[in-house]
Amino acid sequence: MDETPGLSEQYRKASPWPLFIALGVPISEIGLVFNVLPIAVGGLLLFCGCLAGMLQEAGYIDAPWRALGVMALLLGGLGGAILYVNPQVGADMTMRAYAVLASAAVIIAGVVAGTLLVPKRQQPA
Amino acid sequence: MELNAQIAVTVLMGVFLVAVATFLTRIENWRSYTPVGGGGSFIEESGYIDEEKPAGIIRWLTTVDHKDIGILYGLYGIIAFAVGGLMVTLMRFDLVTSSSLLGTSTYNALLTSHGITMLFLFGTPIIAAFANYLVPLIIGADDMAFPRINAIAFWLLPPAALLIWAGFFAKPLGLFGPAQTAWTMYTPLSLGAVGPSADAVGGAGVDLMLLGLHLSGVAATMGAINFIATIFTHRGEEVSWANLDIFSWTILTQSGLILFAFPLLGSALLMLLADRNFGTAFFLTDGGNILWQHLFWFFGHPEVYILVLPMMGIVSYVLPRFAGRKLFGFKFVVYSTLAIGVLSFGVWAHHMFATGIDPRVRASFMAVSMAIAIPSAVKTFNWITTLWNGRVRLTTPMLFCIGFISNFIIGGVTGVFLASIPIDLVLHDTYYVVGHFHYVVMGAIAFAGFAGIYYWFPLVTNRMYQASLGKAHFWLTMVGSNITFLAMILLGYGGMPRRYATYLPQFATLHQVATLGAFLLLIGQIIWLYNMVSSWFEGKRVESGDPWDLRQDNVRTVEWQWFEQKLDTQIATDGGDEEVATDGGKPADEAEAVAEERDDD
Repeated sequence: MDETPGLSEQYRKASPWPLFIALGVPISEIGLVFNVLPIAVGGLLLFCGCLAGMLQEAGYIDAPWRALGVMALLLGGLGGAILYVNPQVGADMTMRAYAVLASAAVIIAGVVAGTLLVPKRQQPA
Repeated sequence: MELNAQIAVTVLMGVFLVAVATFLTRIENWRSYTPVGGGGSFIEESGYIDEEKPAGIIRWLTTVDHKDIGILYGLYGIIAFAVGGLMVTLMRFDLVTSSSLLGTSTYNALLTSHGITMLFLFGTPIIAAFANYLVPLIIGADDMAFPRINAIAFWLLPPAALLIWAGFFAKPLGLFGPAQTAWTMYTPLSLGAVGPSADAVGGAGVDLMLLGLHLSGVAATMGAINFIATIFTHRGEEVSWANLDIFSWTILTQSGLILFAFPLLGSALLMLLADRNFGTAFFLTDGGNILWQHLFWFFGHPEVYILVLPMMGIVSYVLPRFAGRKLFGFKFVVYSTLAIGVLSFGVWAHHMFATGIDPRVRASFMAVSMAIAIPSAVKTFNWITTLWNGRVRLTTPMLFCIGFISNFIIGGVTGVFLASIPIDLVLHDTYYVVGHFHYVVMGAIAFAGFAGIYYWFPLVTNRMYQASLGKAHFWLTMVGSNITFLAMILLGYGGMPRRYATYLPQFATLHQVATLGAFLLLIGQIIWLYNMVSSWFEGKRVESGDPWDLRQDNVRTVEWQWFEQKLDTQIATDGGDEEVATDGGKPADEAEAVAEERDDD
């Protein structure tokens, strides 16, 4: 009475995160290329948030906060790099850099709130 | 007004993120759901979707099961095949007269999207469909090595398709048009506003297409890493390198090619995107145009083998089943696969013989291009020798395998001619090239895809397709392909240049013949689609674990054992009690009786 014999039951057969990780990439890319700040920020938040969620679900991390912190640092570095090359290229990239930095700021705010406010016992083992 | 628009977008984005978060919380709660009064604690997991899949559409949106993802890839590939096919049907009808009916810009847009759709949105995903479904079953793995990465790789593809086709949706709204760069996106044409073409080729449509291509490249790379990890680390105990099946070998080689080729395409696309939007000058300086061609074709030529190697794997896997023999020279087919994989990175400049590159460079690329014909020929001879003295059964998958070999020989031999510099300088940028590569991509790659779809149709759906419709599909496709692409080769000999919506009157007859062939192809594919859809829902149920009677020749493969086990342990369904006639022409139970007799012997 087994629909899929031979498959180990220790493997999860469903995860909600991949779909949204995959959506986060094009949304943030469109926002950054076409210079639309809210879309860039939204896409980056969706991507980073879901990535942390998936890492936690897969058991690589216990709580998402530190992973999110690392992602915020990476985004901060990227934003800084864009600001640095901005004077050397022919197009104005200021708003794109701000979009990346704003995402980093929102994630850091989330990390602070999460670390301080979410009780430890509610983190899934 | 500008500010209002920004606020509106911000609010929309916020609502979207909140909706996603709400949805995710609900899904995740299912996992930790315990009935009120059940006494369970908050953090205890019920394990509901650890063992069973959620129901309905959510199952398909959240699945990480390799078989489900394989089916999703398959549906996606078929939709892309239909879109790309309808695009080319429009183009062929445009070419009935020597003046353009649709207008040249629409023709150019269709030309660009047809190529990109067929290569990136149909070819690569349909191979991933077979590989996802079958490789873990064949090598005895529980699932892919990284099931979630597998799902991410698939879900990147629908946005990629929407971005690549974006111009077609935006044009009726008066926003921007589709890209008209051709699939090679040569600079300076594709450089847009910063280049000399001043973006007559699609504007934002080109940017969106570049983003979509980049996404599809990321997806292919993630899939490739997954297959390499799966085949290296998740093989069953009884599966060694020595007895790894031919299909997995080709998938492994293909994944290696993807790993080296696609990231390079991604980088080149981002450089082009930066030139177009961020004021960089990668391709604007002296030599920028030849740089683009080198970068593009360093990816572009391996891409051909990325598409053809797994399809050769399917033919090597399916053809012996209906020849009643083992694959002749298995080892040499594997060595040829690996040799093609290595050599494929040393032939790219044969696309650039007419650009004026150094003659010594051209000569070396000509030599390697000729050399790659050797392993391809080894494979071809091995397939033919497998048929020799075999008990050949002309089922639909077998017909498509034989059609593959026939078309591949024509596509391959015309390719050897093109690899020769003096001939290429005459035939470059003519319809001869178009005919040559369509013999390979449609005549061979798509044919092998159809062989695979028919062969594994019962495995996936538990039902048998309608054999007579399958044969009609084969013959229409075989005749249609050869009429269309032979006419193109003749047009090329006559000097008809490729990529034009209009032509001189002397080419009219052959163009009309090619359109007739395309029309036959269209009818064939409509029959195929009807067959697939109606058989999936209403086809005769397969009740034997060996629907192809492979046991009587002792050529049954491991995925049919899995299938038999699935049938044996299946929850009783509506009890379809009709007898199923296999494509081999015998009723299933009669064939089984024969097989049992053999077993008794």
